[in-house]
Amino acid sequence: MMVEMLVAISIIAVSILAATMVAQKSIYVSRQAFHATQAAFLLEEGAETVRILRDNAWTNISSLTPGANYYPIFSGGTWVLSETANVVGIFTRQVSVMNVNRDNITKDISTIGTDDPGTKLVTVTVSWIEGGATVTKTLQFYIMNIFSQ
Amino acid sequence: MKITKLTIKNHQNGYAVLELLFYMSLFSVLSLVVISAMITMAKSFKETAIQAELVQSGTIMERISREIRASYDINSISASNLVLNTTDDSGANKTIEFSLLDSDIRLLENGIFTGNLNTSKITTTDLSFVSIVTAEGKAVKIFFTVRSENDASGRAQDFYNTVVLRGGYQ
Repeated sequence: MMVEMLVAISIIAVSILAATMVAQKSIYVSRQAFHATQAAFLLEEGAETVRILRDNAWTNISSLTPGANYYPIFSGGTWVLSETANVVGIFTRQVSVMNVNRDNITKDISTIGTDDPGTKLVTVTVSWIEGGATVTKTLQFYIMNIFSQ
Repeated sequence: MKITKLTIKNHQNGYAVLELLFYMSLFSVLSLVVISAMITMAKSFKETAIQAELVQSGTIMERISREIRASYDINSISASNLVLNTTDDSGANKTIEFSLLDSDIRLLENGIFTGNLNTSKITTTDLSFVSIVTAEGKAVKIFFTVRSENDASGRAQDFYNTVVLRGGYQ
């Protein structure tokens, strides 16, 4: 009698615990999904920041140190890149620029070849803390000196 | 002298007090676990519904961004009102307006009210547009805050974006 009772109770307890854990996980997942939506717009804004800088003058991009982290900040009616870290709510956003090489023959972007001063590889990263772990979203694109300023 | 044997009657029926206590405590512990699990699940269902509504409000930003990207000039811009000059599918000029009225973001095409961008359960506050002028064109910085009406704690969630007017490039 006692054994059956114990088995029944443990089955009930485990199933209730499992259901509770699923419910809690669903909160975590839905919050993360919402934060990912916010982060997607922040990534887009980071990309547009670089585009605004390019539209003003190509030297704004070419003067950046390759590989260094910059933080977009709205100052003086436009976006600028600051070397000082800043946060947007729970999100940390950083922009880094890398040099781009072009193949000597095909002129395609490649790992070898000659450095193209009119093309840069931009990486925008948004990260935030979700349930104790850091979640990172990245957006990478090439920007070119199309206005030849 | 006759020795009488004392016999102890063995009661097979009924519960001892100790047994009863054990079962009662077991029952109460189990019911506590069940009730707390039900509360947790009800809360998480509500929270999931709130988060889904907030995710849905991301489409407001998506729509505003898309309209700005497609337009060629800013007609007028103020803190919570933006009028864009754009073209329709056939290439004819038209205006797109976004404005905040009573916690709803309104969309107006050629000055005619088309609809609210937010769902009825979403309250929008602090819609703000800032114009950015570059050497080659214009951009708009967008910011708004949303709250879910189902959320008793009334948490505010912010959306930020900046979009360059692609139609403005020469």
